[in-house]
Amino acid sequence: MTREEIFAEVTDIFRDVFDDDTLIIVDETNSEDIEDWDSLEHINLVVMMEKRFNMKFDLKEVGKLANVGEMVDLIQRKMA
Amino acid sequence: MNLYSYEEIEIGQKEEFRVEIKEALLDRFREITGDENPLHRDEIYARQQGHKGRVAYGMLTASFLSTLAGVYLPGERSLIQSVEIKFAKPVYIGDILTVTGEVTEKNDTYQLIFLKVTIRNQNGEKVLRGKMQIQVLGEEAA
Repeated sequence: MTREEIFAEVTDIFRDVFDDDTLIIVDETNSEDIEDWDSLEHINLVVMMEKRFNMKFDLKEVGKLANVGEMVDLIQRKMA
Repeated sequence: MNLYSYEEIEIGQKEEFRVEIKEALLDRFREITGDENPLHRDEIYARQQGHKGRVAYGMLTASFLSTLAGVYLPGERSLIQSVEIKFAKPVYIGDILTVTGEVTEKNDTYQLIFLKVTIRNQNGEKVLRGKMQIQVLGEEAA
């Protein structure tokens, strides 16, 4: 998958989790930009990404993600 | 009280228990929440609305999901993260409810279990259905 394809899937996941079909995310989007992005929704994001991309994350690697771009990069690294 | 660890829990695992809805439970729920709606406290009003008696608070029925997670599945190590429910049929005083939870999914990263939950009355009718997401705390945290 290209980074763009991963990004599109991640956008879908964000829209599902935050129940907002119009949500636009960019690499720099972080928890301060989305009001409902709290620790519980972070868990839901990670759980959905694991399912969608059929991979398992380590708690340490998902705990230090600063923004959407880092999430996408992590997924791409794990797919390689 | 059960004390399942995350590793001990398997997909498909089920736990259930029964509870009788007594008048005193409705009265205590009213006291706690301040929900004075006559459907739950006024027999005549409830009958006028087409019910066979006072209707139990939906949230009272749902409160037994707390018991399902905290006492049965996983039990002591439970930390409820979310509950999604639908109230399918009314519950009345004297109903005997069977509360059931079945593990449909697990997530190893966060040690989560996902339950399909159903509550049925003594006639086997589903009065509540829904989903729960529960974290199973580690030994040191429990």
